[in-house]
Parts: sequence; C-alpha cells; structure tokens
Amino acid sequence: MINPVVHITHLSLQYAHHVVLDQLNWQILPGEHWLIGGKSGSGKSSLGKALAGLEKTSGDMQFFFSESSSLPARALYVSNWYQFTNLEGDRNFYYQQRYNKQQRNDTLTVYAELMHYSKEENLAFEEVEKYLSLFDFIDFKNTQLIELSSGEHKKLQLIRALWLKPQLLIIDEPYTGLDKASRDKLNRFLEELVEAGVHLVLITNDENIPRCINRFAEIENGQIKRLPSIHHLSKEEMRKQKPLPYFLQQEAKEAADVLVHMENIHVRYGEKEVLKNISWTVRKGEKWLLQGHNGSGKSTLLSLINGDHPQAYANEIHLFGKKRGSGESIWDIKARLGIVSPELHWYFDKTAKVWQAIASGIYDSIGLFRQLSYEQQQKVTQLLDFFELTADKDRLLTSLPLGKQRLVLLARTIIKNPSLLILDEPCQGLDHAQTEHFNTVVDELCSFGKTLIYVGHYETQLPSCLDNKIVLEKGAVKTIQKIVEQTTAIL
Amino acid sequence: MANYFNTLPLREKLNQLGVAEFMDISEFADGVSALKGKKIVIVGCGAQGLNQGLNLRDSGLDVSYALRKEAIDQKRDSWKNATNNNFTVGTYEELIPTADLVSNLTPDKQHSAVIDAVMPLMKEGATLSYSHGFNIVEEGKQIRKDITVIMVAPKCPGSEVRAEYLRGFGVPTLIAVHPENDPQGKGLAEAKAYCVGTGGHKAGVLRSSFVAEVKSDLMGEQTILCGLLQTGSILSFDKMVEKGIEPGYASKLVQYGVEVITEALKQGGITAMMDRLSNVAKIKAFEVSEELKTIMRPLFQKHQDDIMSGEFSRTMMEDWANGDKNLLAWRAATGETAFEKTPAGDVKIGEQEYFDHAVFMVSYIKAGVELAFETMVEAGIKPESAYYESLHETPLIANTIARKKLFEMNRVISDTAEYGCYLFDHACKPLLADFMKTVDTDIIGKNYNEGKDGAVDNQELIAVNDAIRNHPVEKVGAVLRKAMTAMKAIKTA
Repeated sequence: MINPVVHITHLSLQYAHHVVLDQLNWQILPGEHWLIGGKSGSGKSSLGKALAGLEKTSGDMQFFFSESSSLPARALYVSNWYQFTNLEGDRNFYYQQRYNKQQRNDTLTVYAELMHYSKEENLAFEEVEKYLSLFDFIDFKNTQLIELSSGEHKKLQLIRALWLKPQLLIIDEPYTGLDKASRDKLNRFLEELVEAGVHLVLITNDENIPRCINRFAEIENGQIKRLPSIHHLSKEEMRKQKPLPYFLQQEAKEAADVLVHMENIHVRYGEKEVLKNISWTVRKGEKWLLQGHNGSGKSTLLSLINGDHPQAYANEIHLFGKKRGSGESIWDIKARLGIVSPELHWYFDKTAKVWQAIASGIYDSIGLFRQLSYEQQQKVTQLLDFFELTADKDRLLTSLPLGKQRLVLLARTIIKNPSLLILDEPCQGLDHAQTEHFNTVVDELCSFGKTLIYVGHYETQLPSCLDNKIVLEKGAVKTIQKIVEQTTAIL
Repeated sequence: MANYFNTLPLREKLNQLGVAEFMDISEFADGVSALKGKKIVIVGCGAQGLNQGLNLRDSGLDVSYALRKEAIDQKRDSWKNATNNNFTVGTYEELIPTADLVSNLTPDKQHSAVIDAVMPLMKEGATLSYSHGFNIVEEGKQIRKDITVIMVAPKCPGSEVRAEYLRGFGVPTLIAVHPENDPQGKGLAEAKAYCVGTGGHKAGVLRSSFVAEVKSDLMGEQTILCGLLQTGSILSFDKMVEKGIEPGYASKLVQYGVEVITEALKQGGITAMMDRLSNVAKIKAFEVSEELKTIMRPLFQKHQDDIMSGEFSRTMMEDWANGDKNLLAWRAATGETAFEKTPAGDVKIGEQEYFDHAVFMVSYIKAGVELAFETMVEAGIKPESAYYESLHETPLIANTIARKKLFEMNRVISDTAEYGCYLFDHACKPLLADFMKTVDTDIIGKNYNEGKDGAVDNQELIAVNDAIRNHPVEKVGAVLRKAMTAMKAIKTA
C-alpha cells in the first residue's frame, strides 16, 4: 500500500458558532492533483488554509512528504488576495499612505524582498527571472512593497510559491487578475512543477486549468465531496431578482454637469513620472471603463478624484464643478462619490461587523464612530435585505467569503446614494459567478442616472452599461473613446 | 526669560492649572470657518508639522511651510516632506509676513530661536499656534501683545494624526488660549477651527491651558510614562534572563507584551487590564502593584515637585546648552542594554499568554499609571488632564516599543520626553533593586496559574476588585473613553 501525501481524518473548523468544516476526511495520494471548487462560502479557502496549518482546527492531519525529494517538505498556501503588513508589523497602515510622501522607506523593494527570500529559503536567485517575466514584474524590481497594488501583491506571492516549489502547493483562485496569455503560461509552469514532484491543490471554479489536475471535489456540509469532473461542480444559485431599495431608485442630487475635469495632469515621485499630461472629462451620467496594465497609473488617477492624493493640489482638477484646492475639504468630495477598491478593502477595519461596515459609509469613515438616526438604520436594513446579507449582519466582515465582502463594501459606498460611483477592480479575487453577480447589481444601480468609473481587466467580465473608455499606458492616455457595440468585443 | 508659571501669584497658578473641560462635539459646529480663507504658515515640517498640514489642507484650509534658508538650500528632509507633497515652501522672510496664523511645530529645543526669528516678521494681529506649551510656560517667552497665542496639541504621534484623519476619525486633542495673549478674543474660535481641521474634534477635545498642558505633559508622557515603560522592560527582561528563561522568548514577551497588555488598558482602563488575569493572578498583581506604589511614590512626587518648581526644565535646558551631553550619554547606554540587543525570538506567544506570563509587567503598569495620575491630581492638575497624560498615553508609547523596542520609543518621542525618560529610569532602577531580588519567574516569564488550583477567597477578591474599579482614574476614564469611542483592536504579533 502506498502512503498518501496527506491524510486527514475528522477535520473540523468553526468561526465563532459558524461551522465550516465538519469531521472532514480526505486523502491526497501520490500523483493526485486536486481542484476544489463549488459555491462561495462552502469552506474552500478555509480548507486550503487549514492544510497549510493557518487555521485552528481539531481532528488529525498527517503529512507524508517525500524524504528523497529535494523540494521543501511543506505545504504552502497562496491566498486569493493578499494582505500586506510592513516590515515592523506596523498595524496602522492606511490605504492612502502610498500617496503621502514621507514613510516611503518603511518597506523593502520587491528586489530586496526577493533577495531576502532567496537567502531564507536557499533558492538560486537567477531562477526567479522567468517567474517575474510571467507576471510582468521585471519593471517592479525597485518598487517599494507599499507601492504595489493588492493584485500585484498576489502575484508576488505566486512568484514566491512557484520559485520555492513546496511539495504541497495550494493556490486559492490562481487566475484572478491575469490575462489569457498569462493564465496559459501559469498553467505551463504549474505542469512543470508537477513534473518536478509538487502536489497541487487549486481552489477555483475556472475551467481553464492545467492538464495535470486529475481529481475534483467540492465541499458540502463541511465534508469533502468527490466529483467525476469539473463539469459536476455546483453552480451558485441564481440571485433572486429584487428591486433596488427605493432611496437608490432616486437620481442622486447633483448640480454639476461635469463631475470630473482634468487638464494636463502630471504626477511625479522624484524622478519617476507616474501620470503624464492627462486630460479627461467625465460628464454626468457617463459610464466609463478605465483600463491599463499594472503600473499604468489607474489607481493614482482615481486617487486624484477621490481626494486621496496630495498632488491633486498641484494640478488643474475640477471636481463637481469646483477647482481642487479652492477651499473644499476631502470630506465634501467623498460625500458625493462612492468608491470600492482592493486597497480600501485591504485596509478596512478588521473589527467591523457587516452592518457597521455598511453604516460607516454614511460618514465615509473606516469604522463606525457615531450613532445612526432611524432613517439611516432603515437604509442599512434595506441594503442588507437587497444584498441578501441580513443573516450575516452581525458577523465580522472578514469572516464572510470574499464575494460577499465585496458586496458589503458596495453596499457601504452606495448607502449615501452618491452621484459618482468609482469601482476600482471591484471583482479582483472573485470567481466568474461572483463577478457576474456583482456586475449585474452595478448595472441596476447605474440605470438610475449614476455616473460610473469602472476599472476592470476582462472583456467578458464587465458591466454592460459602460459607454466610454479610457486606456492608460505608462502613465499617459493611450485611447479615449466611446464604446459602441462592435468595439466592446475587441477591447 | 523667567519661568512664566513662577511669575504668577498662587491664585492664578491654581486657576490656570485647573483648566480642564471636556468639550461637546456641538461646540465644533462652526467647523473650520474661523480659519477659512486665512493663510496658515507652518514652521517646521517633521512628523507633526507635515501630518497636521496635510490634514488642514484636506479640510479646505490654505497651508504653506516656512523653513530656514539652510533647510531649503540643502534640501533637508523637512524641505522634501513639504515639497514632495506639493506645498508651497518659502523662507521665514517670504512667508511669515503673509500669515494670518503661524503654527510653530519645530522641536521644543528650537522654540526660542524660532520665535525670535518669526515674531518680528508677523503681521499685526496675527495668531501664533503651538502644539506644546513649554516655550511659553517654562522658558517664559513673551509674545508681542497684538498677537493671539493658542495651542492645539494632538495627543498622538504625527503619523497617527494623519492615519486617524483619513479613517474619518481623529486623535484626542488638547486646546488652549494663552490668557496673556488674546487681544481680540478670537483665540478660542481659531483653536477650535484648527482642531476641526486636524480631525481632533471627532475624538474628544479637552479645553486646557498652557500651564496645565505643560505641567501635566512633562509629568506624564515626558517623564513618567516613557521612563516607566523603559524601566519595566529592562527589569523584566533582565530578571527572566537571570532566571534562565530563553532570551529570545523573554525579549518577545516584553517587546510585544507591553503593547498587548496596554491595549486592554486603552479599551477598558486598569479594570479591563486586570480582568484579563485569572482571579489568583489578579490578587497577586494587586499586591505587587501596591508594594511598587509604596516604593516608587517618593520618586514620582520628586518628579512632580521639580516640574512644578521649574527645576526639571532648568536642568534640562542646561543640558541643551551643554550640547545634550547627558541626553546623548543616556541614549547610548540604552542602546547597549541586553534587552535592546536581544532580538525577539521566533516563538509564538498567544494573546492571553502575554498576560499570564507577565503578571509583574501588569502590576508595574498599574502601579505606574495610578501613581502618575494620583501625583498629578495631588499637585492641582484636574483629573481629566491627568488622565490624558497618564492612562491615555501609555498604550501609545507601548506601541512604539512593540515596533522597535526602546530605541524606537526614544526616537519617536520628543527630546524633552527622552530626557525625562532617562532621568526617571536612572533613579527608578536603583530604587527597585531590593524589591527585584524578591521577584521570580512565577510573575515574569512563566504562567502564574500553573500548579495552582485557582481558588481564591471571596472577600479578598471582592476587596481587590473594589479597589481597582473605584480608583479615581477609572471613574474619569470611563467618562472620557465613552467620548473617544473608536478603539481599534490590535492584533498580536
């Protein structure tokens, strides 16, 4: 009889009173490479983390790593999106910190981080190059970790994992944020890893997976359920069609006809020019798609609009008909726009319950510091109901599946019925079904006169209401045009 | 220049020491309007200068920075901080004459020179703002009579002032108007507007006076609390190593323990901190803290007396004049301590373990905070002021130790605080020498509960709980904490 690589018996895990894994039994045999899929919230990520020893579980988990292999005898988990703390574990990072030019030297550069990692893990430094190029990371070597977006951090984690080649590698949503070519390339690398002796567990519902994946399962009632193929995975139930809460069916009050007007914008960090000569006008009711590669300046451009970037004061920017730096406060601006971004999510209050997170949107604060009026409470209740979050309202935001967390943040930002909605890769880390769900809600919301700026990667995964497009390349505008039916296909 | 406080008659001394009024948020309904459209020029662009300026600008105010010509020519850090964030930067001569409000956010030590340079350039009827009143109270700086002098003192490091503002909140703040310099009666309105601009009004504002702020600040943050944590850290670490606890573990238990323990303090006062212990451990901690209070009380009283009489600032200013001889020697000695040189070990310590294995540290923090509070109140400082400068400050200082130990704490705090810290530390360690001989690993390093059945005497427990809960610092703390509702939980490392 051959020894399994992993032998799990009676594995249980619960968060507070919420049972996630219930007496789960599972074996990974040599040569088996698993895909765990199925519905969000079923416990996929929790099982992945448990395998790597990152969760407090009961039951028995045994590993029989190969002693003859030169690969590190351990299980490594790459999370679906990565939360970053700085070197000193300074916990009071805030998401705008990247733009305030003072504490920049608190973190290592990507290069220094990888050097450090290679020493720690005894890896040959030359080998990392091919992984860096896979993820378009060559240009990032001298970038500070704090300057990376969360999608980029995820990629850095993947680079580290591929480079390390642990005997058991668990990757949660490996394909998010990657374009088609990079996905194929990643799959080839994963196959190479398997040939070298790595056992893979991929957590995804994506069908474009490496050929080496030969076992399929999902989690049902806290137990592992084996499936004959990827096509047997359970699909999310169709969301019940519900009308938007009445207050969101009202067009937001907005006196200005031009919400954003920028003229020849430049943003520099020392020698580095992040935005070059950008001019852009967003009129009331327009639905913009903002695209560009990592590092093209998308997030910086948005930070100029939402009041988070100090260099807005040195540029010709008009927001809601008023010039930046003419006596308005950032809170006046934030009151009129709603934003969801990976960075906001990343630095969000870890102690917030779902309802508190939503309510905090009324004051644009990260955390709720004030009492709510009756009318405000009603809005929270209506949003909880609309997003089918009522049962989760007292749970910690961070304990929900990622897709639901993003819906909470969307609810948070629309509770004040803003006239401008900025969604910066709101579906990063979400799977296909969750993304579709999210985008349907965005379409519904925008049918009531909202103005939208949406940042997204994939042609197939966008809201359908988009009617204008701006593409950035290396900090400059590459194209700016109306979207008509035919062009959407070739974005 | 004469010490301002010492020139006052006793009646006026008591009067100014006694200003402490917790302000309701409704008093800030005018927002920033008193400063709207006015020109604010900040002198100095370090942590406080830059971060206050960023907040004020984001609140819709007009902010620029005046720096010394050398700082501009040599493109020093202050110049980089200001220009990289797109502020207008100019020399004193260029900017001060245009200012409606000049905010002096340079280090204490430079205040006299800065004011001498700035004051002749200031517009008739302009306002001068401070974040600490040392210059006015201890150095007795006389400000031109047409100038309004105010203070807005956020009770947090500059980086926190910014981080909390951007979260939509703020940090607790003290505001004051100097009674000698309020010719137009506009001081309070401008101080309130400035406070709104930095976000402080959302986190609780205490109306104070220059005198009350200085005398309590020197005693609290500047002298006792930094010194307290420094002494406690070193004594705990040395004791554990002496008794054979693994140094990496000891280092981590202290470095992160101070933060975890004081997090409970921050959220629920001494009561919450003590309640994290088991009943047996709590009774032990209470006994130890009582003993520590008896031993340390005369030292606390001496510090407070020297602060009140001006003796503390006189000797410190002597050291300034002497090229910081003592300060630098003490700083070097701290860098050489075994605690500082032993990196935190790669061991996992659970959150509860930081309490159970460090009963001594809990006792010591309780003793220090209560003593600082009691001593200040005895000296005529109001309980509200005393709370801010004792219990409220302790977790903030502990955070800096968790980051990079004592070196980091002493880097972040002002030179004044650092000076006071060493002064206290050097007097306190010998004072506790005999007591430390009686300390063993049951109260520092190992789990106090181990091998005990946990039984306690009901009456004894009731009496201990009663003493903890009814201490005056708990009473005033409960009221003030309610106003500062946003308490972030801190994860363990």
